Amino acid sequence: MTDFGYTVSKPRRIDIDRNDMTLCDGILSSMPELQTCIGCGTCTAVCTAGNLTDFNFRRVHTLVRRGEYRGAYEAMNKCMLCGKCRLACPRGINTRAVVLLLKERLKGM
Amino acid sequence: MVFYADFCLPFIAGAAVMFAAVVIKYTVWLVQLPAADKRLILKGLPTRRTLDAVVETVRESLLHRRIFRVNPVLGYMHMSLAFGWFLLIVTGWIETMAYVGLHWVPLQGHVFFKYFMPANGIADHKPWFDFVMDLLLLFVLSGVALAWFKRMRSRALGMRRTTRHIIFDRVALTSLWFVFPARLAAESITCALWGGGSFLTAGTGSLLSGVFGRAALEAAYQPVWWFYSCALGVFFAAMPFSRYMHIFTEVPLIFLRAYRVRPESAAKSYDNFEIQACSRCGICIDPCQLQSSLGIDEVQSVYFLRDRRYRMLQHKVADNCLMCGRCEQVCPVGINLNTLRLNARSSSRDRCDESRYAYLSGIDRSSGEGRTGYFAGCMTRLTPRTMESMARIFDAAGEQVWWADREGGVCCGRPLKLSGEVEAARRMVESNSELFRRHGITTLVTSCPICLREFRETYRLDGVEILHHSEYILRLIRAGRLHLRRDAGALYTYHDPCELGRGCGIYDEPRAVIESVGRLVEPAHTRENALCCGSSLANTVIDDPCQLTIARDVARELEATAAGSVVTACPQCKKALSRGTTCQVADLSEIVAASL
Amino acid sequence: MRHVIVIGGGVAGLQCATQLARTGVRVTLLEKEPRAGGKLLGWNSLFPSITPAAEVIGPLVEEAERSANIDLRTGCEVRSVGTGEVTLADGERIACDATVIATGFTIFDATVKEEYGYGLYDNVVTSVDLERMFGEGSVLLRDGSAPRRIAILHCVGSRDEKVCQRHCSKVCCVTGVKQAIELKRLYPSAEIYNFYMDLRMFGPGYEEMYREAQQQYNINFVRGRISEVSPTFEGRLQIKAEDTLTGRPLKMGVDMLVLMVGMKANAMNAVLAAEVEGLQMQPSGFMQPRDPFTGNVCSRSEGIFYAGAVTAPKNVCESLGEGMAAANSVVRWLDEQATRQNRTEEAR
Repeated sequence: MTDFGYTVSKPRRIDIDRNDMTLCDGILSSMPELQTCIGCGTCTAVCTAGNLTDFNFRRVHTLVRRGEYRGAYEAMNKCMLCGKCRLACPRGINTRAVVLLLKERLKGM
Repeated sequence: MVFYADFCLPFIAGAAVMFAAVVIKYTVWLVQLPAADKRLILKGLPTRRTLDAVVETVRESLLHRRIFRVNPVLGYMHMSLAFGWFLLIVTGWIETMAYVGLHWVPLQGHVFFKYFMPANGIADHKPWFDFVMDLLLLFVLSGVALAWFKRMRSRALGMRRTTRHIIFDRVALTSLWFVFPARLAAESITCALWGGGSFLTAGTGSLLSGVFGRAALEAAYQPVWWFYSCALGVFFAAMPFSRYMHIFTEVPLIFLRAYRVRPESAAKSYDNFEIQACSRCGICIDPCQLQSSLGIDEVQSVYFLRDRRYRMLQHKVADNCLMCGRCEQVCPVGINLNTLRLNARSSSRDRCDESRYAYLSGIDRSSGEGRTGYFAGCMTRLTPRTMESMARIFDAAGEQVWWADREGGVCCGRPLKLSGEVEAARRMVESNSELFRRHGITTLVTSCPICLREFRETYRLDGVEILHHSEYILRLIRAGRLHLRRDAGALYTYHDPCELGRGCGIYDEPRAVIESVGRLVEPAHTRENALCCGSSLANTVIDDPCQLTIARDVARELEATAAGSVVTACPQCKKALSRGTTCQVADLSEIVAASL
Repeated sequence: MRHVIVIGGGVAGLQCATQLARTGVRVTLLEKEPRAGGKLLGWNSLFPSITPAAEVIGPLVEEAERSANIDLRTGCEVRSVGTGEVTLADGERIACDATVIATGFTIFDATVKEEYGYGLYDNVVTSVDLERMFGEGSVLLRDGSAPRRIAILHCVGSRDEKVCQRHCSKVCCVTGVKQAIELKRLYPSAEIYNFYMDLRMFGPGYEEMYREAQQQYNINFVRGRISEVSPTFEGRLQIKAEDTLTGRPLKMGVDMLVLMVGMKANAMNAVLAAEVEGLQMQPSGFMQPRDPFTGNVCSRSEGIFYAGAVTAPKNVCESLGEGMAAANSVVRWLDEQATRQNRTEEAR
C-alpha cells in the first residue's frame, strides 16, 4: 500500500488554527469554482485512476482546502487527466484544471 | 560613377543589421537542429523536393496564393507588397545594368538609382524603364493603401478582427508605411527637377512643382531622400526582430518542410522557423470559437506565436486553446499551430518520475475473446448507449470481440499529452500497447476519436489495423455483414468531431453510414470547417459556462438544418451537444443499431 | 359577471378555480390533457403521510366539474396569453378579466442522463414509473420476479449543471424516502439503498419520516451520487458511486434502480416571457413572481397571476396554498379595478 500521509499523519486532527491556509487561499483565488464543490463524490466514483488505485480526488482536494497539503502532489500525479470527472461533475467544476493547479502549486509539499 | 551620398548611411546601416541578424539566426537554428533532421535535409537536397520548394516559394512567398483563397482582398494586399516590391528590386537591378552595364554597383546604387542617375544626366534615356518602375510602384502603393485601410477598418477587408502588435512591430510597420510614399515623393521631386519618370513620378512631380514652385522642391530635395533612406533603414533594422521576419523565414521553412522536417511533441530549434514565419496576418483569429462565442481575444494562434517568440508565453495563453485545428486549416503559411502549442505546453510541464504510474503495470480488465478488439475509452463509459449499440452491431455481424476496457481500463494517454505531459502519456501508451499485444488482436476498433488519434499517431501496433467505429461499421455494411433498414424520411445532421475530422481526416465514412440508414443534411460549417463542440480536452482554462455557450452556438447551427436528430461520432461531442440542444443527439452507432 | 381564465388543471389550478367559483367568479379552466388533475393523476400517494393522491385531487376535480361557475375545458392547449384574453391552439380567442397561469412543470427526462441507463437497461425506472407501479398494485422486475435489492438515486435532473438544471427540485428527497418505505412495506425482506447528496427534510413530518425509514424500515442511506450504471452478466445492474462518508469508491449489484427525477421548467415559459409584456423568467426557466414574499402569486403584468409550480418547484401543500392565495389576489385585484372604474365614472 502506498502511504499518502493522510491516514497516519500525526496529529490526526485537522488543525485549521495551525495549518498554513495561504497556499489554499491562493489556490482558491485562482480557481474560485472549486469552492462550489458539494462533495457528492461523482468525480471519485467515475475516476479512471481511482478505479485502479486508491486515488481519491474529492478527498485530496478537500484536504487541501483545509490546509492539509502533504501528499497531495503525489496523489494528483496518479491522475490520468482523462476528463471523465469533468464530464460528470454536477457543479461543472473544471476538475482537470484543479489537478494541474494543485500539481503546480503543491510540488514538493 | 560614385554611388555614394551621405543620406545613404541610414539605409546602409539598417541593411547591414538586417543581413547580419538574419544570417546569425538561421545559422544558429540550423546548427541546433537534431541530427535526424539534418540527415533529412541532406537526403532531400539533391532530389525533386528542392525544385518543388522553389515553385512553392514563388507561389506562396511572392504570390500568396493561400491567402488569396481565404480572403482575396487580403491576398491582393500581401501580394502587392511582396511581389510588387520583389519586382521593383529585380527591375531596378536590370535598369541599373541597362545603364551602367555589367559593373558592380553597391546596394545603395540600385536602391537610390534615380538619385544617382537622374534622366537629364544620362545620354540615352530609356523611358520604358521609367514606365515599368512607375507601374510597379503604383502596384505596391495600392497594397500600402489597403494596409492603412485595414488598420483603421478591418471589417471592410472581411476580417472581424485584426492583430494587435508589440513595439518592434509598430516601429517596423510605421516605417514600412512610409517607405513607399517617401520613395514616391523623392522620385517625383527628382523628376520635377531633373526630368525623367513616367505617369506616376513625373505626373506627381509636375503637380508638386505647380503647387509649391521649383524653389521649394529644391529645398526639399535632400531632406526627402534622407527621409526615404531613414524609413528604409529603420524598417530593415527592426525587421529581424519584428513580424516582418516572416518575409525571409517563409523561404527556408518551405524548403525544410519539403525535406519532411516537422515539429514534434518536444520543442526543437526548427520551431523557430515556423514561429518566425508567421506574418501575423490574423486570419487565424476569425475562425477561433473562443473569439466568436466567448469574446476571448488574446489567446489565438497569432498571439500565442508572438508570445512564444518573445518568451513571454503564459500558461493561461498556452492552455487556453481547444486545439480544434480550425486556425491551422486556414493558416496561409501552413504553420503546425497545434503541435507548436502542444510542445510549448510540454516544455513547461513535462516531467514524470519512474514510480509515478507504476500502478499501470499488468493491468488487464478485458473480457471476451476475438481477433477484433473494441476499446471504448474513458468517456464512452458515460455514454453507455454507444457501448450497447456497438455490442448489438458486433452481434449482428457475428463478430467475435475482445472487449479491452468494459470493466474499466487505462486511458489512451492523449489527454495527458494534450496538456503537455508527453512523458507521462507514454506510460499509458506502453501499458495499452502491451495489453493489445498480449491478446493478439488484428483489428482495433474504437468509438472515441480522441483514442483513435492517439492510437494512430503514437502507438506502434504492428499488425493491428486501427479503425474508428464509423470506418468499421461502413466496412461491415459494404461487406454485406450488416443489413440495415433505410428510412428515407429520417433526417439527420452530422457534427464532425475535431479529432476525427481535422485530426484523422475521417469525413466520408460517417456520412456514408448515415446515408445508409436515412438522409443527411449538412450544417453551415461542415467537414474541414466544422465547428468544435467546445468541450475539447485540450482546453484546461475555460470554465463550464463557457463550454456551454460554445455548445449552444454549435447546437443552434445544427438545429437550423431542421434535421430530426443530431448525429456525432465522439462521446465528448455527444455530451457537449446534448447540453446545448433539446434535439435528440445520438452517436453514429446508435442510429445504426436502431436500424438493424 | 366577472370572468377569469385559469390555465392548467393541476392541483394549483383546480384549487384556484374552485375557490374563485365559490366567491361567484365565472371561471374558464383550460387543461391540455384529456382529464383534469395534472401530475397527481398518475401519482399514487403523497408524503409524508402516504395519503392516497386521489383523496386530494378527487374532490377538487369533482367540484370543478360540478360547479356551475366553472367551464372546464380539457384537451385544450393554449397558444398565447395576452392582456384580457387567451388564445387557444385552434385559434379561438377567449376574453377575460384576469388570467391565472398554473401550468406547473415538466418532469425531467431521465434519458438525458445517459449514464444512468434509463430507457437502455431493464429495471431502471423513475420515481414517476414507480408511483404508477404502486398504483397498479405490483412492483416487479421486467422478468416478472420480485426485486431483492433496490437502489434509489436522488437528484436526477436536479442540482446538475451538466443537464442545465441548477435548481433543487425540493420534493425528490422526501419522495425518495417515502418510496423507500413503500417498497419496504411491499417487500419487507428487500434491501433498499438511498444514494443522496444532501437530504432536505424541510417540512412538517418529513424528518420524522426519515427517522422512521432508518429506524423502522432499516433503509440504508449512502452519501454519494451514483456515477455509472452498467448491466451485469446475470442481468442485474451494477452501480458505482463514492461512499463519501468512508471516502472509498463503492460498487454493488442491484435488481432495480429508481431515479428520483426532478422538476424542469416548462418550455412554454420562455414563450410567455418573450411574448407577454411584464412576464419574466428566472435563470432556472421558472417564471419570476413579482416578489418572493407578498407578491408570490402575482406577475409584473397587471391581471396575470401565478399559482403553483410554474414559478418554482413546489410540493402539493404549497401548490394548494398558492391556488388559494392566487384566487384571493385575483378577487382583490378585480375589486380594486371595479372601484377605480366607478371613481372615474363618478368624476365624469
